[in-house]
Amino acid sequence: MAFSDKFAPITKGLLEFLVLKIIAADKVYVPDILQQLSVTEFATQEGTLYPLLSKMRREELVDYEWKESESGPPRKYYELTAKGRAQLRETMEFWSQINETVKNLGKK
Amino acid sequence: MNKVITINLNGVAYQLEEAGYEALREYLDHAARRLEGNPDKDEIIADIEQAIADKFRALLGAHKTVVITKEVTAVIAEMGPVQDASAAGPAAAAAGARPAGGTPEPEGSGGLRAPRRLYRILDGAMFSGVCNGLAAYLNVDVTFVRIAFALLAFFWGTGVLVYFLMAFIVPVAETPAEKAAASGAAATTEEFIRRAKAGYYEGMKTWHDKQAHREWKRKFKQEMRGWKYNFQRSMHEGAQQWQQGWARQGPPHPYHWVGMGFTLLVLKWVRLLALALLIYAIYSLAVHGGVFGFWLPSGVPAWIGIIVAVMLYQFVAWPIRALRHSYYYHGRPFWGFGAGPLDGLVGLAFLGACIWVADHYSPAFHDWLQTVPPAIHHTTDAVRNWWNQH
Repeated sequence: MAFSDKFAPITKGLLEFLVLKIIAADKVYVPDILQQLSVTEFATQEGTLYPLLSKMRREELVDYEWKESESGPPRKYYELTAKGRAQLRETMEFWSQINETVKNLGKK
Repeated sequence: MNKVITINLNGVAYQLEEAGYEALREYLDHAARRLEGNPDKDEIIADIEQAIADKFRALLGAHKTVVITKEVTAVIAEMGPVQDASAAGPAAAAAGARPAGGTPEPEGSGGLRAPRRLYRILDGAMFSGVCNGLAAYLNVDVTFVRIAFALLAFFWGTGVLVYFLMAFIVPVAETPAEKAAASGAAATTEEFIRRAKAGYYEGMKTWHDKQAHREWKRKFKQEMRGWKYNFQRSMHEGAQQWQQGWARQGPPHPYHWVGMGFTLLVLKWVRLLALALLIYAIYSLAVHGGVFGFWLPSGVPAWIGIIVAVMLYQFVAWPIRALRHSYYYHGRPFWGFGAGPLDGLVGLAFLGACIWVADHYSPAFHDWLQTVPPAIHHTTDAVRNWWNQH
């Protein structure tokens, strides 16, 4: 699904949060992340995801190990760190908060 | 049928069509530029190459070993432009709209804000591109810088020293990225798109912005001069290579030397023998009027006989000389002095001898020959009269 580009700032800002959520659910390979996102409004590409993941790894939110895959060379297998889990919790709270704000703002 | 280039993606070889390779090269260079300054740059590039390799592998099989250009561009489109996540702000647009940081400001928005670097620019330069580079750095016309240098050199003498110092120290702008940095503009696709949108390339037709128009014309001329220079240089190099190819056919293979040396020796002695015979024949004709039992018919002066002897010698010696020449110079044509038997002076003398023989033996020819000088005089008189009359 591709929404228009005017929502691009929103999807870009929330991407890191959603990637954290995906990795929290299960250990994943990068193509799996892309596949899960591709059916949502946040469909993205390798060119965006790889730099983002490397930034998250530098901030110690995620970590990877090299795992053999069925075909081809070993791949990075990503999982969440403790710091990442804390960050995810924090962002979830923030998300519910702004949800409330969005619901209540403008109401009389 | 297109040419194929083999590349290495994380240790596995893939074969791409040439145009596809160019597209992929551009994509990866673009990515590298975007990630400049990112500490994980190499790792990200490796990840991206791995992802590309995976996509390629899905397209190949036992009966298909080459990734065609269309597939390469499809894969690149799937990968998307590389965004440097570390500089991404809330206002940054999504995939592809604007660079997320790291590239210098486009040139149009105030020239000196871009991180300019001083380079020597060889495109369209007169000597070593010093003035050219300095002019691009300061955003002035090249001619002014050259005049300034010339004045400095002429009046205060320091110009020459400064010029040479700069020529040694200042680096040459080689890659397009460096050339763009020299004038403070990003040579990225976004920059070109922005320029096209801003009517940069319409500069030939419209005069909306005089400053930009002049700037564009100047840059364009510089680029054209650079291309012309490069083209000439490559043509010269090509010509040199052709000449070298000719010369490389030089001395023949050593295996041929043994048999050839013997042949050449024999030929040399044959030629010397012929020469000795000739000299003897000349002497004999001069003194005795005959040689080897050949007596000249009565009335034929000795010099005719000599010329005939020389001609005979030439006929014998020329093939020998040509052979020796071709052995030594392997392939070059034998155009040396006196190459053929009828060449040069010998040919003329032979012609003279033929005329004399005809004159002596053929009465009809003799009579005709007698009428030639009066006819010439007659013609010249007529011409002179006509000239005097008018």
